[in-house]
Amino acid sequence: MSLLKAKASRTREKQLDALNAWQGTLFSALTEFSGGEPVKRIRTFSQSTEDDLLYALRVLAGIRDSVVVIHAPRGCAAAALFHQVESGRGRWIVTNLDDRDTIMGADGKLRKAVKEVNQRYKPELLFIVSSPVVAINNDDIQSVVEELHEELELDIVPIYVTGFASHHAVTGYDTTLHSLLKYLGGKKGKRPHDERVNLLSIAEHPHDRNEAERLLGALGLELNTLPDDASKNSFRQAAMARLSVSLDYGAAHYLGVCLRDEYDVPFIGTPRPVGLGATGRWLAGIGNALELQDAAQRVHEEESEKVRHSIGDFTLKGLRVYLSLSPATAFGVLELVEELGGEVVGITVSRLDQLHKGAIEELSGRHPAILIHVADGQPFEEVNIIKRLSPDLYLGDSLHLAQVGRLGMPVVSLRDLPVLGYQGVTALARRISTALLNRSFGEALSRTSVPYKDGWLRRSPNWHIKKEVK
Amino acid sequence: MAHHIDSSRNSCALHGALQVIEAIEGVVPVVHSTAGCGAQHYLGVNRLNTGGERFGGPAVSSSNISEKHVVFGGSSRLREQLKNTVKIVEGDLYVIVTGCATEMVGDDIPAMNKEGRDQDFPVIYANTPGFRGDVHQGYQLAIKALIEQLPDLGKSEQPPVKGLVNILGILPRQDPFWEGNLKEIGRLIEGIGLTPNLLFGYGQGVADWKRIPDALLNIVVSVWGDAPALLLEERYGTPRLELEGLPVGAAAGRFLYKTSELLQLDSRRTELFVQAEERRFDAQLAALADTWYRAGFQREFALAGESAQVAGISEFLSGTLGLIPRTLIITDNPPEYAREALLTRLTSLLNGFPTEVSFTEDFAEISDLLRSSSAALVLGSGLEESVAAGLGVPFLQISFPLSDRFVLSRGYAGFRGAVTLLEDLGSALLTDRHHNPVHQQLPSALAFL
Repeated sequence: MSLLKAKASRTREKQLDALNAWQGTLFSALTEFSGGEPVKRIRTFSQSTEDDLLYALRVLAGIRDSVVVIHAPRGCAAAALFHQVESGRGRWIVTNLDDRDTIMGADGKLRKAVKEVNQRYKPELLFIVSSPVVAINNDDIQSVVEELHEELELDIVPIYVTGFASHHAVTGYDTTLHSLLKYLGGKKGKRPHDERVNLLSIAEHPHDRNEAERLLGALGLELNTLPDDASKNSFRQAAMARLSVSLDYGAAHYLGVCLRDEYDVPFIGTPRPVGLGATGRWLAGIGNALELQDAAQRVHEEESEKVRHSIGDFTLKGLRVYLSLSPATAFGVLELVEELGGEVVGITVSRLDQLHKGAIEELSGRHPAILIHVADGQPFEEVNIIKRLSPDLYLGDSLHLAQVGRLGMPVVSLRDLPVLGYQGVTALARRISTALLNRSFGEALSRTSVPYKDGWLRRSPNWHIKKEVK
Repeated sequence: MAHHIDSSRNSCALHGALQVIEAIEGVVPVVHSTAGCGAQHYLGVNRLNTGGERFGGPAVSSSNISEKHVVFGGSSRLREQLKNTVKIVEGDLYVIVTGCATEMVGDDIPAMNKEGRDQDFPVIYANTPGFRGDVHQGYQLAIKALIEQLPDLGKSEQPPVKGLVNILGILPRQDPFWEGNLKEIGRLIEGIGLTPNLLFGYGQGVADWKRIPDALLNIVVSVWGDAPALLLEERYGTPRLELEGLPVGAAAGRFLYKTSELLQLDSRRTELFVQAEERRFDAQLAALADTWYRAGFQREFALAGESAQVAGISEFLSGTLGLIPRTLIITDNPPEYAREALLTRLTSLLNGFPTEVSFTEDFAEISDLLRSSSAALVLGSGLEESVAAGLGVPFLQISFPLSDRFVLSRGYAGFRGAVTLLEDLGSALLTDRHHNPVHQQLPSALAFL
């Protein structure tokens, strides 16, 4: 069946057997994923973390000439305020559902909001984002979309996030991109392909996107970047491209598969271009697909030389490093740390699924005993693990860096640091070398304690991860 | 029926309750909701008034309910989460707060709370779904829960403090300067011989909340302190003193005299203290004079912020600094009765100026009001920055959300806060001088003379 016929994408749990709670060695992770579907675990204690609604808002904030109508009580829009203040863009309104609306439904209110905001901003695109309240009430968004699409002659795209259907925030990327393609991609089927290559870039740092565009530009490619900084037309063009390449194969997987299965646009699996080795393989993969092997090889050699020159004799030799990152970044950074002579002693990844089998297989051959912890925003477990491992350096991209920083080791934030491509290697090396050169902030910060009881820190860090009883 | 809002800056009740709980040392929130509620709070509220908080991350305990709990109920998940929170997270008091999903499903929170009590957990609860209101209602709901349920957990073990005064109505983080403002108000109260009960911020814990009934007086800084103060009056007969806004500069003197009179304190001591504060402030004002002329302080201004900020700061800017209030925008949705009182108060204060006062939290409306204001200075939140830039006028961030400003302990209340405001305003005007050398707009009041 056509993927895009459905109202929304399936969850990551269903698509790829994604785990959000797991702990063990790399070797046992391999065993877990080798024997068919891994057993789902749940937590008996948990901490707040991002969900599909937050990830939807993150993608939508990057789309040009658009307005987002968040159909929800007011707090569900808090992250939209964050994106607006942080990036200075992203128009949004919230329907501000109250007590009464939760009982009576609120499609009238939604209709009114869409009309008024259209009148005010005359956007090219309008998104309606659903929420837990709307999902529980099963409010009818679809008929509002259909009616007002005709009446206002405006492209209206509904995004059916729920806040509870999946444990993986990344499901929100899928739900959002599903609707964007469904409503803007045009009819299913083979199309004359043009020269463009889709660069699938989802909520990436603008510098990272620029770096990727620079490198692919050097291969002479004409790019259609989406969904970051995309316009309405980008999605239509995406359906006619000759190839899709991604910056994060896991994050972009659903989008790439939809483009492949619905519009016949080939999608290649490439590593995330983090570190010299992975960036080289990323370029080579694209070069192979487009018969530009020589150019890709040449760019890689030239750029690598520049990086080696700029980082000089910078080394992580003798240092034990902990990583807490999204999976694609984690596997890339692990390799980079090794390129620089360091040793990774443990990894927290926000999820683990069938797409990571290859990476796990490859790594567990070399380092079967490395600890892998699967958690999105569960610092109570991370703190427990780190206290045991006492690494010399922590590289992370979570929302709780200010908490793990209290453990005293140097912490480098990859959340707002561009790390992709060759420039990313230089930027990261520089940030790490600064962090190692002067550790006084971490030492001062360690005078503030973490919020956990000693009793917990003495327990096994996987104590609260249990097999789900169905 | 609640109306839709463009770029709301008042978030929701759950987030308001979290602001309260996270600002009290030793108190741990247990969020019973979907996983994203706490992360929304962290990104969209905490991060935008400087970020970070006591726990160093999003909500430290959250039941993260999934589809199963939406279908079959989430009470058992809460039971498990509460039990484990008490084991894992260090705390003197645990507060269950609910989100929209668990309220719609109808989980029995009082029953779960009681189960916790039966196991001797120090736990209370507040029903705080986002559909019940904004941060201000959340502030009130959480304080109500503390006032009503804390006594069940045992009385204050400390001996009663003499001359204790509670300070209510300053919302942690929704006022980005809350901690500085509280400290200065506390310092002033101490100056006239009383003991402030700040209730929020560094060193303020459950013991201070248990002391609330001992107070001689509740000082209510904003309309949002009204309901808690009324509740305390009902329960303990504590009188209240409602301020006319954040007391900035001269208003601080007035508030001290009133307090002193109400509690029949040593009037000579109060007078000496206030006079000393005023003298110090006057010396700073004299030191500013050269810059006041040079940077062109005297100009029409527009101000967007919460009711207490707008009332207090506009009084200071017009009553002491000689600026002309042009457009005042009150963004915290005060209840009807308070709007009338605010308008009456602002009208008498701003008598003779061509001032327009509006109540709205809608970004588009606020932007339109500012654009048409002909103001030569804008004070507001980070959201107003681009409009001010469009007008080509200097801009100072004084309200939530902040964008490029970092605040830890600075505040604008009291005499010291007034000096801080002079510094910040002076810096904004001097910086602007380099970008916009001349502001030759005629004040609109004179334009038609």
